[in-house]
Amino acid sequence: MEAKSYQEVNEEILRTLGRPRMRFIITVSLLALGTLIGAACWAYQIAHGLGVAGYVHPVYWIIYLTNFIFWIGIGHSGTLISAVLYLFRAKWRTGISRSAEAMTIFCVFIAALFPVIHLGRSWIIYWLLPYPNQRTLWINFQSPLIFDVFAVSTYFTVSLLFWYVGLIPDLAVIRDRAKGIPRKIYGLFSLGWVGNHRQWHHYGTAYLILAGLATPLVLSVHSVVSWDFALIIVPGYHDTIFAPYFVDGAIHSGLAMVLILLIPLRKIYKFEKFITIKDLESMAKAMIVTGLFIGYCYGMELFMAWYSGNRFEKDMILIRLLGQYRISYYLAVICNIAAPLFFFSKRVRTNTKSLFTVALFVIVGMWLERYFIVLGPMAQDYDPYNWGSYFPQPVESLITFGSFCFFFFLFLLFAKFLPSVSIAESKEDMEPPIRLREEER
Amino acid sequence: MAIQQGLVGVFIYLDDVLRAISKLNGGGITIKNVYSPVKSPEIIEAMEAKPSGIRPVSLIAGILGGCSGLALATYAHLRWNLITGGKPILPWIPWVVIFFEVLILIAVLSTVAALLIKGRIPRIHYGKGGYRPTFTGDRFGIEVYGGSSELGKARAIMKESGAEEIDEI
Repeated sequence: MEAKSYQEVNEEILRTLGRPRMRFIITVSLLALGTLIGAACWAYQIAHGLGVAGYVHPVYWIIYLTNFIFWIGIGHSGTLISAVLYLFRAKWRTGISRSAEAMTIFCVFIAALFPVIHLGRSWIIYWLLPYPNQRTLWINFQSPLIFDVFAVSTYFTVSLLFWYVGLIPDLAVIRDRAKGIPRKIYGLFSLGWVGNHRQWHHYGTAYLILAGLATPLVLSVHSVVSWDFALIIVPGYHDTIFAPYFVDGAIHSGLAMVLILLIPLRKIYKFEKFITIKDLESMAKAMIVTGLFIGYCYGMELFMAWYSGNRFEKDMILIRLLGQYRISYYLAVICNIAAPLFFFSKRVRTNTKSLFTVALFVIVGMWLERYFIVLGPMAQDYDPYNWGSYFPQPVESLITFGSFCFFFFLFLLFAKFLPSVSIAESKEDMEPPIRLREEER
Repeated sequence: MAIQQGLVGVFIYLDDVLRAISKLNGGGITIKNVYSPVKSPEIIEAMEAKPSGIRPVSLIAGILGGCSGLALATYAHLRWNLITGGKPILPWIPWVVIFFEVLILIAVLSTVAALLIKGRIPRIHYGKGGYRPTFTGDRFGIEVYGGSSELGKARAIMKESGAEEIDEI
């Protein structure tokens, strides 16, 4: 990092919180419109029933489940970058951790909307909570759906608190430089932080513990999501490899989304000092590993279908390779495994345009991967008489579109009103001001 | 009761702050607060801070949380004792997930609560006392209280250590 003093760090990062320009207002308005279109489709679905969402027996909830897994997965790299890399003292996380954490919160929030959307009667979502009703009917604690409720709500709470705790000293910085109503708002959320030795001491310990507690969640949450499928005795779902397969895919897509968000952010806000090419390159290197592991998982699915001698598994794989949904499979292979291989070239992984392009490929590929994993086994299980054919309809497609708009809408608001690079951690990475050193200069 | 007055010394350099802390401690003057714009392990060490009490809170709360998750699941399954999927009424293996998730959740909530209590936040009147907005910028501060003779000594130490300015509180 090239900033010279603590004050310069403050000024450079807080520069982004100025008055919004017209381009920003137009972009945010368009994204809000896209979100409203998605919300209107959801309202239409509630009014007319789930039949409008292209459900064909036995294929239900496909796009909603796909989106749920996709968005939860994207959120993973936020925790990976903020917590896991913090424990490993990886310096390259400093410039990107705050945005990655914010991305996690927005993703998990959007993901949590999809089970509500696919319920049909969304207003009875609270039936999933562990409370006794008048017939003493309790939820089943051995159901993977209840695991999901616990896992996702824990993940969201932990991510939100971890992000907020990291923000407190930065909010105090903004508070001390703001005037009028913004000063009151930032003052409220900074909780009267003054940065004395006692606060920093306990803050450091608490942050480390939070990072340690958040780290196992990186592995657990998507494992739990994968067990929604792996615990069902349906060929294509009932795989022991699903947990690492899902977790790796989650990190892969999450890193890609961080690149998609940070490359424009870095350019627009001139954050080259804080988000360096080396940081982006480190993410590209991580994506090579996650991409190769996805390749291993795809290969292992094919191998186990052959090696297990299970006829239904073998048929399911043949349907995946040659059936009506094969295009999504091959596109996923190209986008998730082949595209990140370009990162072996230093020229590709140090060029922001090529980084952005490959990241886009990965995002498309990961969505398609979730799509064929959910759809294939559900559409064609043991009994051919029971098979169905599915194609997305406008309602669920527009709800998906709305979810993307909502995500970028939330992220833009975050980047405008909160520091998108951690001020406190950027300062920690600098040499402290020492008189002796100054005099030597 | 004697009226306690205070001083706050503002510093630019970390080594000056550390020197002042050492001299003030040596002179028997109690330092109430040392402000810094960044977490400084050197300042925390100089202030001889004990290991944070947050750690045992997180550990105990986590274990209790995990156990309470298990207790809730046990109670619910005993109240509605229907065999599902051929599994026993109390299926311990799947409940590892419930135990783990509730453990993490309660440990995190307790850690944050402990941070608020130990860090004495939220505080409404944060601007009173020796705090200056520059302490979130690029300045360090030392806040001391005492009688007039102690404050005179403290002022001299801070000045000698390189304080940029010294204000009365």
